[in-house]
Amino acid sequence: MNEVILELKNIEKSFGTHQIHKGINLTLHKGESLGLLGGSGTGKSVLLRSIIGLEQIDNGTISFKGIRIDHLSENALVPFRIKISYSFQNGALFDSINVFENIAYPLFEHTKLSYQEIKEKVAEMLKIIDLEGKEEIMPSDLSGGMQKRVGMARAMILDPEIILYDEPTAGLDPANTLNVVALMQKLKQKGLASIFVTHDIP
Amino acid sequence: MINIIHNKILKVSTSIRDFFIFIGNISHFFYETLKCSVTGPFYLSRLMEQINHIGYGSISITIVIGLTMGLVMTLNFGYGLAKFGGTLYVPAVVSLSLAREMAPLFTSLLVAGRVGSGIAAELGAMNVTQQIDAIRALGTSPIRVLVVPRFWSLIISLPLLSALAFAVGIFGGLIVCKTEFDITPGFYLYKVFSTVKFHDYMSGLVKSGVFAGIITIFACYKGMRTKDGTKGVGLTTTWVVVAVSILILITDFFISKIFLVIW
Repeated sequence: MNEVILELKNIEKSFGTHQIHKGINLTLHKGESLGLLGGSGTGKSVLLRSIIGLEQIDNGTISFKGIRIDHLSENALVPFRIKISYSFQNGALFDSINVFENIAYPLFEHTKLSYQEIKEKVAEMLKIIDLEGKEEIMPSDLSGGMQKRVGMARAMILDPEIILYDEPTAGLDPANTLNVVALMQKLKQKGLASIFVTHDIP
Repeated sequence: MINIIHNKILKVSTSIRDFFIFIGNISHFFYETLKCSVTGPFYLSRLMEQINHIGYGSISITIVIGLTMGLVMTLNFGYGLAKFGGTLYVPAVVSLSLAREMAPLFTSLLVAGRVGSGIAAELGAMNVTQQIDAIRALGTSPIRVLVVPRFWSLIISLPLLSALAFAVGIFGGLIVCKTEFDITPGFYLYKVFSTVKFHDYMSGLVKSGVFAGIITIFACYKGMRTKDGTKGVGLTTTWVVVAVSILILITDFFISKIFLVIW
């Protein structure tokens, strides 16, 4: 068995008096894909958000490669947010900048690559998500499926070790669903571990 | 009866507690903004972009309001003072009022409406569409990326806009003085520059800087905590304009008092 890269122990989370998670345990190995299934409002997305620190858990521990990352400050979480990336349900693209700037955003922020190198990396990523030549398009001019794929490209541009997919195929037509699933499979073949939340069971 | 009193006390105490929590949170938000301004990367291009959007974009409306203030104030003071034979005091009264109060106050209220609502709506929309979460998830700070450039751009722009409103207001006063009260432009300008002292200009500039901080901190804070979709964005925008306008008026009194005591 590959090494454990993410471990959740006895996770508890409540919103007011409504308890969402009670004693959740989860172990993710390198290269492994885990699916979280369940009805709406059962806290699947909240669990993903808790892993990346967008929500604070009430009890329990979250460890990345043996290092506890729950309750870390925003600044202390930065290196882990580079290693664990999050693909939002609706892409959550920055709507005031174009596709290139969206995908390049993490590279500009966290690397010292030259503009030319970033341009090449983004072009390569656009090829992988089958959106070659769409650099200048604004997010509002993309279809829902395209927005999701751009969001996924942005999430994986820094070569993370884990990617968290929030409803990657929700609201997509069959053709776009196949595109997104194919992309996820490509990433899995590259050895990327993932956790995905979904309603769609093929 | 006891239950009703109990509920009333509970409601009041909850409101007081919420108020202090709000004060604590917004103070912490302000502290984080200052901290992010002096540590780590500073986004100069975003600052320039915001100065262009917030500052340069407000020039035309500042000119309109500055000119209107100068024309209307001179007209009213002129006819008011004429009854007592004090027409010659009009340039001094108008220039002093403009420098100390009217230019910074009216420009700030105008900018609070134009820019404060814009910032609150923009950040509010970003929050409800998870773009602010995305900034955090990508390992960057929303305060550093979104708040700091807006904060400093308004701190730089608003005093300049107030100075512009003052200059245009003085020009408006000059037109009315010449056409309505037969005061020559030379005498008018002499009286303006001999009346308004350094600390009067400083009072206006400091006020503008403080108002700029109030506008951006409140607008960004509320915008980044917007919930409930587009309805929430609308509510946030309204709240920001009302709260900031009231706060500007209250703060204006205290800064005026401080400057009058100091100088």
